[in-house]
Amino acid sequence: MSFLERQLEDPVRFARIKRGFYVGLVVVVLAEIVLPLVFHGGHPHFSFEGFPAWGSIYGFVSCAAIIVVSKLIGKAWLMRREDHYDD
Amino acid sequence: MTIGWVHPGLVLILGAWVLPFLKGRVKRAAMLVVPAAALVACLLMTRGTHGVVSVLGQDLVFGRVDGTSLVFSYVFSIMAFLGMVFALHVEDDSQHVAALTYAGGALGVTLAGDFLSLYVFWELMAVSSVLLVWRRREPSAVAAGFRYLLVHVVGGLVLLAGIVIHWAQTGSLAFGDMGAFSGGIAWTLILVAFLLNAAVPPLGAWLPDAYPEATVTGAVFMTAFTTKSAVYALIRGFAGTEILVWLGAFMAVYGVVYAVLENDARRLLAYHIISQVGYMVCGVGIGTELAINGATAHAFAHILYKALLFMGAGAVLHTTGSRKLSEMGGLYKTMPKTLGLYMVGAFAISAVPLFSGFVSKSMVVSAAGETHRAVVFLMLTLASAGTFLHTGLKLPYYMFFGRDSARTQERRGREPPRNMLVAMALAAAACIVIGVFPGLLYRHLPNPVDYAPYTLQHVTSTLGLLCFTALGFFLLLKHLDPEPTISLDTDWFYRRGAAAFVKRIQRPLARFESGTVGEIYELVIRRPVLGVASLLKRFDSVVVDSALVGVGRSTESLAHVLKTAASGHAQHYGLLMAAGLLALVVLAMLAR
Repeated sequence: MSFLERQLEDPVRFARIKRGFYVGLVVVVLAEIVLPLVFHGGHPHFSFEGFPAWGSIYGFVSCAAIIVVSKLIGKAWLMRREDHYDD
Repeated sequence: MTIGWVHPGLVLILGAWVLPFLKGRVKRAAMLVVPAAALVACLLMTRGTHGVVSVLGQDLVFGRVDGTSLVFSYVFSIMAFLGMVFALHVEDDSQHVAALTYAGGALGVTLAGDFLSLYVFWELMAVSSVLLVWRRREPSAVAAGFRYLLVHVVGGLVLLAGIVIHWAQTGSLAFGDMGAFSGGIAWTLILVAFLLNAAVPPLGAWLPDAYPEATVTGAVFMTAFTTKSAVYALIRGFAGTEILVWLGAFMAVYGVVYAVLENDARRLLAYHIISQVGYMVCGVGIGTELAINGATAHAFAHILYKALLFMGAGAVLHTTGSRKLSEMGGLYKTMPKTLGLYMVGAFAISAVPLFSGFVSKSMVVSAAGETHRAVVFLMLTLASAGTFLHTGLKLPYYMFFGRDSARTQERRGREPPRNMLVAMALAAAACIVIGVFPGLLYRHLPNPVDYAPYTLQHVTSTLGLLCFTALGFFLLLKHLDPEPTISLDTDWFYRRGAAAFVKRIQRPLARFESGTVGEIYELVIRRPVLGVASLLKRFDSVVVDSALVGVGRSTESLAHVLKTAASGHAQHYGLLMAAGLLALVVLAMLAR
């Protein structure tokens, strides 16, 4: 069994990975909020970029919007059976 | 040292024809030496104008070498090399010849300083690349190849029409900035032809139609050359054209939307080519120094990571024979190396810090920021999230992880041939080197670079964007399960629309044909023709016939006369000769 298999197939280890992921999310958000206050690094082009945790919020909203909107368009219009073009 | 100027594209195009004559190890060596030689020829090029040929009072420039063409020629020849490494195991000469010719065409376009030579190489690319589709030799591939060729022939004709009109109007074939002719018909036609090759919607449906149907190795070449040579042509001719900003931003989002719906692994990646080229087209449209640098840098980085991603998906197709995400899963157990290398490409395209996309894509996004285009900035950033969602999460999740059903277990492959892994490793190394040492790439960009990708704000907001895209992915995972469907795109117009159109107009057309057209034909063609024919017939029987009969009769009577002389007896001829001689002698004596 390879390293990856051990990590993914053992429920205890997989739960640990999951926890690590959530901790990582919190760290990223905090870094995005706190670090600019400490270092005053970079110069955003737009005022909305100064909003606390802008990247995290926009990333989550974008991801959800892309999935939901695309699936709606797809179901309503674009998606067809695979033999759509076969005669 | 003066060795003159060697056209690197010609090295590939001519070198390709050596391969069919070689065998075994020598052939495989030549497959690497030819693109390597082209790369060396690119590196040896000095800035300036080379290879000028005068035809019809026009200067054809085969070697316009400057900052822009140099950096594109580098990446095209590097890509030709990587592609040949990936294809080293393929025993099909026609594919190798086509691939090298295709790459040579791209180099020809890059170095062309005039429209005519640009056009020749442009068409060469279309004709050679279609072979890479056809050589998969499945009915669906043959059909897709014909559609691909059809679209590009139309695009080529539009380009030619634009060139001819431009030539007639200006008297010059020089290919430079077209801004002065903005809005004119030549300007429009040439722009449309360039946009078609750059796969800009609604002219871009040929790309996700054809690329997934190409051979495993052929598709890797195709991802690199057609769209990026079109981006190069746009940089040359149409930098700062406002409409490109919006087309590019729309493209970036369009590709992402279609990628959500897609089930075919390579077609999903093909839609992400459109999305990524959107950033470049947008950068060309913005047109500032930073934006042009960004478009160029992104083209460079994109060619390498996109090739890597197509190599990964191609390796899975090669070993499992499966192209649909709904039929895959659990491959990480048997193809961990492929997974690891694929993920480098996925991180690069997703602009993860320390990978190449991070230092190239952000230049375009920053250029949108610097020019205060908030909507474009938001669209491009949204597309970034979508890119990570698909190539970084959805595709690897369903291909390498996901459910591990009995059906996927029997399809499970091994690692691909070693040359495929080596090619992927080389491309992956390039993605990381560019990401870690962006200066290596920035040094070759057309404009001086005053841009720092690794600012605190940029790194933290990018990490936030990516991590929370991942969160969204896992929360909405059940809505993302790939479904065995295909998606309508503008190729509908020539796949279905044309047929439906013909069906609809068939009957009225037939009625019109037999009614109106038939009567007009009777009146305008049939009757006059019959009248003239009968006139000619009478002339023939009266004048020509009697003349011929007369000639025949006189010949016959002459023959009767001659027949008495030509008796066939030698003594008669001797007698005649003697009589003649006697007559001559008498004549000579009398004449004295």
